[in-house]
Amino acid sequence: MIEILIFFVAASLLLYIVLGGADYGAGILELFPTDYKEEQRKIINNAMGPVWEANHMWLILIVVILFMGFPLIFNLVMVSLHIPMVALLLGIVVRGTAFTFRHYDAVTEPRSQNFYSYLFGYSSLWTSFWLGVIGASLDRGRIDPEATDFFLAYVSPWWGLFPVSMGIFVCCIFTFLASVYLIGETDRPALRTLFRKRAFVLNIAMVVSGILVFVASYMEGTDLLSKFWSHQFAFVFVSLVVALFVVLWIVAIKRRPLAARIVAATQAGVIMAGWFWVNAPVVLTLKSGPLSFYDAAAPAATLRQLVLALLIGSLVIFPSLFYLLRIFKK
Amino acid sequence: MDDLLAARLSMGFSLGFHIIFAAVGMVMPFLMATAHFLYLKKKNPEDLELTKLWMKGVAILFAIGAVSGTVLSFELGLLWPGFMKHAGPIFGMPFSWEGTAFFLEAIAIGLFLYGWNRMHPWVHWGSGLIVGISGFASGIFVLAANSWMNAPAGFDWVDGKATNIDPVAAMFNEAWLHQTMHMQAAALQAVGYAVAGIHAFLLLRNRSSALHLRALKIAMVFAVVSSLVQPIIGHYAAQRVAVLQPAKLAAMEGHFQTSSNVPLYIGGIPDVEKQEMNWGVAIPGALSFLAFNDTAAEVKGLDQFPKEEWPPVVTVHLAFQLMVALGSFMALLSVIYLWLWKKKVALPIWFLKTLVFSAPLGFVAIEAGWIVTEVGRQPWIIYGILKTADSVTPVPGMIFHFYFFLVLYLLLSVITLWLFKRQIQVAEQAVQAARGKP
Repeated sequence: MIEILIFFVAASLLLYIVLGGADYGAGILELFPTDYKEEQRKIINNAMGPVWEANHMWLILIVVILFMGFPLIFNLVMVSLHIPMVALLLGIVVRGTAFTFRHYDAVTEPRSQNFYSYLFGYSSLWTSFWLGVIGASLDRGRIDPEATDFFLAYVSPWWGLFPVSMGIFVCCIFTFLASVYLIGETDRPALRTLFRKRAFVLNIAMVVSGILVFVASYMEGTDLLSKFWSHQFAFVFVSLVVALFVVLWIVAIKRRPLAARIVAATQAGVIMAGWFWVNAPVVLTLKSGPLSFYDAAAPAATLRQLVLALLIGSLVIFPSLFYLLRIFKK
Repeated sequence: MDDLLAARLSMGFSLGFHIIFAAVGMVMPFLMATAHFLYLKKKNPEDLELTKLWMKGVAILFAIGAVSGTVLSFELGLLWPGFMKHAGPIFGMPFSWEGTAFFLEAIAIGLFLYGWNRMHPWVHWGSGLIVGISGFASGIFVLAANSWMNAPAGFDWVDGKATNIDPVAAMFNEAWLHQTMHMQAAALQAVGYAVAGIHAFLLLRNRSSALHLRALKIAMVFAVVSSLVQPIIGHYAAQRVAVLQPAKLAAMEGHFQTSSNVPLYIGGIPDVEKQEMNWGVAIPGALSFLAFNDTAAEVKGLDQFPKEEWPPVVTVHLAFQLMVALGSFMALLSVIYLWLWKKKVALPIWFLKTLVFSAPLGFVAIEAGWIVTEVGRQPWIIYGILKTADSVTPVPGMIFHFYFFLVLYLLLSVITLWLFKRQIQVAEQAVQAARGKP
């Protein structure tokens, strides 16, 4: 039972990053100066419009699985990371509404449109950053439910260079994904070139910020690097990511938008899966030690109902999702 | 302000904000699908125009509902970790189903909003209908979870811990049926009257607009049916509360001393110190009758409960009275509408004006009803099991959490109202332009 639930958490997280992450990336992309602002806006509206609500649902699913199946994890995270969670929620609220308002405002005049775009862009950046911060905070060993001091209990778990660098890294991944996905959303050569250039720059930024993540973790003593290398599959992951770089640039040069999408998504997916795999089944590293899915699981009767709901739900969700993507992403 | 009160205000405000959009998201797609159905059947261009007009409203309000719902799912843990620790595994089941329903809704709304001319017209229509059906189902699941807090079931409480958990029994607890029926009907009438009110306003400005008249008629079908059924459901709900949560019923009615042949007060302000009702109009035996179908029946008063377990009596009583008054008014309005409809006369101006005035009343009634449900359960978060005070987060400074979301949601409300003003202006211009044509 627990294995199935771990799989669902991992799969939801993966799909949230690969699909929902690109929606945040599209918002960040709009912050870059360009001569094609209007066209870019239109392309992003049409690309994101039909799918962003569904892509957002993966996050909700993770929250529900956690609070029903692993209440201890849910509670520890929500208490210790209260502040970054509120920051994340602010971003989620502003991003979703600004995007919708921009599309559905009955009067389209530059002043209000620019205002929505401004909010959409910065809130996308903001939300992605805090997602990274929260992700990094899970395994730093600074979450301490016993702490009584405000700073130690509610700030220290997420405060530091490592979470910040992870936030930047996540922003880079999301924007990279968006750039690659958007190549296939337009027929205009000038815009395709623009997105391709962006993808190239962001791919480099991803590598640089990725290195920064390892450096920062080393500096604060979390030492992600040795934890990573000591894992039996570490070498496979690194080779896979490097190989995918090569494949990505070949398909990009050969101008195959769909293949590039798949490769980029796989690359981001492998990074996420690697991070998840290195830690699993541990979800949280508290000051007092690691806490795994097994330690935090709800009683068996609850897990059974949760698995049942997820399996039956999947029978409905995946075909509909497939249909949605087939209609809009042909 | 202490952290407990600030956390309660935060939760109350978040729920109160979200519920408006949730109600719209559940009901509006059905109105939209009705207009769309009429268009596909009769090919009347006004029905298509109306479908698209309502669709824009759905798109805007659904997005706000989705993000404010996300906030709530996080706030369960951000504000009430001591509650979620116990409750998550017990009442999580309806949420897991709600997740599925909501997911389907998000997919369907993407298909409907952007699927014009990309899908078979009837499949496209079906996607709009699925938005409504899955939204409505989501609502029922969330209500089932909430009802468990009022009528906890499906576990044994031993030494401050839940054992022997049965999530299915928890979901289908004693309160789930009346709560879901009552709320879903309330959503139908609130949205029905709100939409009718907006189009009545536009009709007053353009008496000849066939579009707005049609919109008003469709909305009134939903409003009238639900408003006439609601008093029956409400009566059933009150009878259930009388059995399940006598303290809540006593607070609703301002009933202090246990007695038989209890009068029902219309209006009135309870005096908690003196334990009596001031300025109310008493109908002899009516409360006994309403609660137990017998004018002589004994109704438990607040004196049966220690004072520290009383809910805030004045708030609950006034909110309840407000809800009942608004519900009765909407039922009356529905009867008048049916009478006008039977006489086959054009809707008179005074009636249209009344509809404009009534546009927000259903939502006010929903908010009042939720105050009765939630404040009436206090000081308990799980009725009779766990106190709200024992489940609040240890994070200090909850007042900042409250102000933060207060400001955010107020700004969002202002922008939304402004957006709707613009939608209505543009719709009005379109009607005028159509009229100007030869």
